[in-house]
Amino acid sequence: MAEVDVPPRVFRLPSAPGTRVVVASAGLACCAMEVESAVRRGLLVAHTGSIEPGDRCLLLVAGTVTEALGPAVRRLLVDLPAGTRVVSFGACAASGGPYWDAPTVLSGVDQLVEVDRYVPGCPPRPDDLVAALADLVGSGAA
Amino acid sequence: MSEVSHAAIALVPASCTSCLICVRECPAWCIELDSHVEQVSEPGARRPRSVSVLDRFAIDYALCMYCGICVDVCPFDALHWVGAPVEPAGTRGDLVLGTDELAGLAAPTAPGEDWTRDERGGARG
Repeated sequence: MAEVDVPPRVFRLPSAPGTRVVVASAGLACCAMEVESAVRRGLLVAHTGSIEPGDRCLLLVAGTVTEALGPAVRRLLVDLPAGTRVVSFGACAASGGPYWDAPTVLSGVDQLVEVDRYVPGCPPRPDDLVAALADLVGSGAA
Repeated sequence: MSEVSHAAIALVPASCTSCLICVRECPAWCIELDSHVEQVSEPGARRPRSVSVLDRFAIDYALCMYCGICVDVCPFDALHWVGAPVEPAGTRGDLVLGTDELAGLAAPTAPGEDWTRDERGGARG
């Protein structure tokens, strides 16, 4: 199988003032639309610069993680700084969701990488996303 | 924050008869239900009645796709929508809400706010 890459989108999180939070988003399926909704409402702001030392990094996995895209998601995390925390957004990323019985879908991204926070919903709302991200960077070392 | 009327599904344990219709109809198979049967004797009855008693009801919110089919098919209105979403969790297991947690979710959505109900509270369709 040819290797597929998931180009991450990188955002800043305005709702966590005082800390520089970089959110790398892997939009794999329809939950990515909720991330875009958060961007359009200014809850996430596109980040143009590079990731600097001291930045707190979060990897946001939004959408269905298929067998084909799993390695790409793992590579994303490898490329991010050590200590990057992982947020599973939506039912598919948490467990496979409606596709729990599909042979080509992983039963959650935690089959690949350790997840720090699961946001339930199908899809969750943009507000829930931003609240979970801010809570995660506020609740301990990122 | 904009409120929606169907952010999570809550349970009224006293209304649940353990009929399992929701469990079987759920497309995501996210509902677990344990029950047992008790014999209830009544004076003058020819024989004891068999009554299902709910032991455990759980919704796995890591799996739930919020379709509301369980709410629609429940013949006893034991499931209802609530407006507040389930809190994010640190482990997948924490997204499995049991009987008491499901009963403790917010109050039912008021009639008129629930898009699955018509103005008089009856199920649409």
